[in-house]
Amino acid sequence: MLWVDKYRPKTLDKVTVHDQVAQNLRKLVKMENKTWKIDTGTRTLELELVMLSSAHHVEMNPSDAGFQDRYVVQEVIKEMAKNRPIDAKGKRAFKVLVLNEVDKLSREAQHSLRRTMEKYSASCRLILCCNSSSKVTEAVRSRCLNVRVNAPSEDQIVQVLEFIGKKENLVLPAGFAARIATQSNRNLRRAILFFETCKVQQYPFTSNQVAPPLDWEQYVCEIAADIMKEQSPKRLYAVRQKFYELLVNCIPPQSILKKLLAELLKKLDSDLKHEICHWAAHYEHKMRLGSKAIFHLEAFVAKFMSIYKEFLVSTFG
Amino acid sequence: MAPLVPSSQPWVEKYRPRQVKDVAHQEEVVRVLTNTLQTADLPHMLFYGPPGTGKTTTALAIAYQLYGPELYKSRVLELNASDDRGINVVRTKIKNFAAVAVGTTRKGGYPCPPYKIIILDEADSMTEDAQNALRRTMETYSKVTRFFFICNYISRIIEPLASRCAKFRFKPLSEEVMSNRISHICNEEGLNLDAQALSTLSAISQGDLRRAITYLQSAARLFGSSISSTDLISVSGTIPEDVVKSLLASCKSGEFDVANKEVNNIIADGYPISQLISQFLDVVVNVDDIPDEQKARICKKLGEADKCLVDGADEYLQLLDVASETIRALFDMPQGMVF
Amino acid sequence: MGKRPPVVLLSSSSDEDDGGDRRAASRGPSARRARAPAVPALAHAPSGSRKKPRRGSSAERGRRRATGPAPSGYLKTEFDMLSEDFSECLNDLGMPGSIRQTKELWVDKYKPLSLADLAVHKKKVEDVKKWLEEKLKAPKGTFGGWTLVLTGQAGVGKSATVKAIAAELRVEICEWTTPVPTLWTEHMHANSGLRYVSKLEEFENFIEKIRKYSLLSPSSIGSQRNLTIILIDDIPVTSGKASFARLGKCLTDLVQSTQLPTVISLTQYHKSESNDTTLWNSEELESLLQGAGAHKIAFNPVTINSIKKNLIKICKQEGSDLTEELVHQIATSSGGDIRHAIMSLQYYCLDPRRLNSALATTAILPGLKGHDIVRGQDSDGRSSVIASPCGRDETLTLFHALGKFLHNKREPYGDVVEVDSFPVKEKLRRNPLKMDVPEKILSQAHGKVRTVADFLYENVLDFIDDDAIDDAWTVVSYLSEADCLLAGSPIASAHCMVNESYESESMTQLIAASVAARGVLFGNAHVSSSRWHTIRSPGVWQIDWSFRFRKDQILRERYDCSCTSGSRNFCDIVTEFKPFERWIGPLNDMPRSNSLHHKVEDGSILIDRFGTEGSSSEEDEDAIEDW
Repeated sequence: MLWVDKYRPKTLDKVTVHDQVAQNLRKLVKMENKTWKIDTGTRTLELELVMLSSAHHVEMNPSDAGFQDRYVVQEVIKEMAKNRPIDAKGKRAFKVLVLNEVDKLSREAQHSLRRTMEKYSASCRLILCCNSSSKVTEAVRSRCLNVRVNAPSEDQIVQVLEFIGKKENLVLPAGFAARIATQSNRNLRRAILFFETCKVQQYPFTSNQVAPPLDWEQYVCEIAADIMKEQSPKRLYAVRQKFYELLVNCIPPQSILKKLLAELLKKLDSDLKHEICHWAAHYEHKMRLGSKAIFHLEAFVAKFMSIYKEFLVSTFG
Repeated sequence: MAPLVPSSQPWVEKYRPRQVKDVAHQEEVVRVLTNTLQTADLPHMLFYGPPGTGKTTTALAIAYQLYGPELYKSRVLELNASDDRGINVVRTKIKNFAAVAVGTTRKGGYPCPPYKIIILDEADSMTEDAQNALRRTMETYSKVTRFFFICNYISRIIEPLASRCAKFRFKPLSEEVMSNRISHICNEEGLNLDAQALSTLSAISQGDLRRAITYLQSAARLFGSSISSTDLISVSGTIPEDVVKSLLASCKSGEFDVANKEVNNIIADGYPISQLISQFLDVVVNVDDIPDEQKARICKKLGEADKCLVDGADEYLQLLDVASETIRALFDMPQGMVF
Repeated sequence: MGKRPPVVLLSSSSDEDDGGDRRAASRGPSARRARAPAVPALAHAPSGSRKKPRRGSSAERGRRRATGPAPSGYLKTEFDMLSEDFSECLNDLGMPGSIRQTKELWVDKYKPLSLADLAVHKKKVEDVKKWLEEKLKAPKGTFGGWTLVLTGQAGVGKSATVKAIAAELRVEICEWTTPVPTLWTEHMHANSGLRYVSKLEEFENFIEKIRKYSLLSPSSIGSQRNLTIILIDDIPVTSGKASFARLGKCLTDLVQSTQLPTVISLTQYHKSESNDTTLWNSEELESLLQGAGAHKIAFNPVTINSIKKNLIKICKQEGSDLTEELVHQIATSSGGDIRHAIMSLQYYCLDPRRLNSALATTAILPGLKGHDIVRGQDSDGRSSVIASPCGRDETLTLFHALGKFLHNKREPYGDVVEVDSFPVKEKLRRNPLKMDVPEKILSQAHGKVRTVADFLYENVLDFIDDDAIDDAWTVVSYLSEADCLLAGSPIASAHCMVNESYESESMTQLIAASVAARGVLFGNAHVSSSRWHTIRSPGVWQIDWSFRFRKDQILRERYDCSCTSGSRNFCDIVTEFKPFERWIGPLNDMPRSNSLHHKVEDGSILIDRFGTEGSSSEEDEDAIEDW
């Protein structure tokens, strides 16, 4: 079992990172199950809450169903509401439905979610998880209790890593955990995965060991280097093939664009940075509107090349 | 410690005024309405004004005072935006409801006038077609029905509809009225709210009483009976002032990387960016040391970013774009590259 | 009278394949003659032409059922021959330019009757003939090697070759012609008692019969009279894996077990005609047949010269006096499809004035292609490059259009004088286009806008000068705008293929098309020096497909590995878990925790059901329509 799963807190008491949030939620659980919405900060542990309250819960990612998501939401909730469990004391209990990635649901699905939520609120409770609440419609938000869970700070990540290290009987050299924490970019899951990878790769840890970078991120780095080196339609075409490679592996184009931007920003002059980040935002927006991500990715790269070339020409003649 | 019995009823409903005269802060409206109520002869009405100022409450209160609890069900039809209100609904549902005639049977001291009331909440979200269809219906059944339109923006109601109604404007609640109301509820529910929290609540709800009550209830659920101002902020999803301020400060530094880091942190802390942008707008507009032209440039960018966010664009990139444009505006850098 | 011919043309120019034509031909004269006088105007054409095949088919079907395998083929051939005789007689009677001439398609009328008439390359004909002769002489009783596969695009004379050879060798042809299907609705509603038989089923029956027949025939081996060739011309179109597999099996059986010379002619559709990979896969079939031991002869498109020769010959016989130039145009624009060429010729001969009116109409008429070539003389060289690998119809013009956009030919600078009425910055000024307005070209190409955009995107970079990265950006950014337009509603969720409102769709489609085309034309200010480029088919299609496949796979895996990752977000899996898998090992060999597990699976089943329901029902519908 992955460490990520193994050390996932099973009850609210064991939640270490967001103890404040956890405490409040515990109060809530004691009192009543109500529709909660958990806005997570980006990509953190959010699922502790799942394990806690009752055995009667279902978890799902309705957005995977693609354009059918509306029906999934409706049907599942209906289904659950029908067979309401009866607990030991003969009292009617709630079912809890955890919906992940609510922000990726289509508008229709969110709309139908809100109707369904109201209709079956007697028999089931929803926990909605999402990365950012701005993409959840106001209507759904106002029907929920909003709880923001921020990403753990680096110190907290270090603590968690050390905790895991202790449990696994590992010796951590000084600064090792901190380095992983930095590398993980305030993402605890990634930190733990990095940690485990390091363990698999080499143990005992050496003092300057770093986790291998994610393969797709490395690939994006290569692309960044490519387009810094030469700016021509031919190179653009070559880059396109690399993008294809990434897309086939289901890497979300948004992630590609962001990573690419991050890489480029590392190497650029500050004037250019403004310009590039503007165009990145522009094309990411277009990407949402359009249907073929590659068109927009490529447009971004082409724009970058064009700007960068102009910059080079004007600076070095 | 007050009883924290989880009541399923939202406080908004629980503390909704039942009488027109109880509606807070809308003196003129209340005065006119109480007069008309006595004659029980109502025109069609159009209530407009910002959210949470008592429009729906007033409409409901009127209906209640006219019919009393018994007849209320059969005489009043309430439709709000979450109901399907396509043109077909207007044609069938409203028609069917309106077509059944009623008599005057006084019951339990209520006036019970011989017409029905149809309340259309959030009327401005109706399509133009539906509104046009309504106009016809209104004329046909004007003898037996009265329509109450409730909307935020009167400009979105088509002129023919608006001209058939008596218009009432609801103004935003003042902070004082709001605090009174809130402390009343706190007393009833046994909550502890210090002065700071009270003013925070008024500030974040921006004159919207309903929102204030909702926040209060959520906070009470989550944090128990003593609520601090930070609790309220975290429940409301508003962003602490210092976060917004520090973003602006990082932009003022003129360093892209500094701003980038700040943006990264904000994203990691999971603040909703659309909210952040509107708060950033407030801060920028109110700051004294930025000339108007620069403010305008920043605001323009904020508008664009907001649109993109609505379309579902990535929060990080949009915020970064805003930050970088702010830097460029503050330091008078041109928007495009010039070499 | 003058109005009659278009009727005929319309019914047959609608892209019927070989089988259809021949069917029409075989019963053509009689059926048509009976009805000819009554049809007054164009408007009746569709209904008329629709009725015809049905009537014929039920008769045909009845005949086949009644007589059983062997005689059916015989009867049919006899019928064919009779009708051919009939038309030949008429031919002989023919007075040029008379009333009668227009009552018949020239394609049928001038069907090659002898080897000499064939427009096909001599060597190919020789090959086929040799093979057939060999097989006819060869001793029966051996299995395998009895099948010949002829490939080539439509209208290059595959079947005609076989028939001509058969006539020369005096061999019977036993032919499979597609029956007209019982419509599904007909089956459902009318109590006609027709059993619903899909095309594929009928084909299977036919194959079965052949196999039995060929087993029987050795008994009558002695008589020369009985030599028979089986010609399979119209292989049913399959959609979906299952039916394709059935077809494949059926054909393989045939190839391996037949003991009569069997000729299968496969029409090659150009790939770009549809990006629908499941629909038609002639290549797969081809390799399948070859794998089963069939001999293959590929037919090339008929050369322009030999088309011309034929056309001129026909002209002479018909007594019409078309100019040399026009004949040349028809020949070149046909793209090596002789049937199409003759069809166009007949059309022109109907009414020479039409030539002029063709200039005015923008409708998709065969004439327009010729017209295109008259106008843009420069396109000749290009079209031969681009058009050679593709068929005559849609793709030709689609490729034409693409070629025009990509090459971006403009008037030389000196000619520009009158632009000043509308001053533009130097940077934004372009020379006038050496072509029609892009929108017109697009409407002629009548490809899907999506297809056009994809093609442009795939190929445009090749045509941009190596230094002009700015241009590349301009072009790509226009394409990206076009993509946004194509995606439909502005508030697009991640899943935008559905829920498009159809009201304003066609408008946005048009706009998107012109944004894409004009964007490419405008942006590409520095066209790379004219080099030879092939036009690639868009890689995006392939990528999209494999993306979907892979996503499904990953999702399925996720549900397999139960509790732990059941709740993971898809993008987390892809971006984080998958990469780590390399080091940590696969995710799904962990013990399953049961509390959560079955619940999650419920969910997965649900999702599966929802996921597949849509597609499977779609498939069913398709199947019904296609058969």
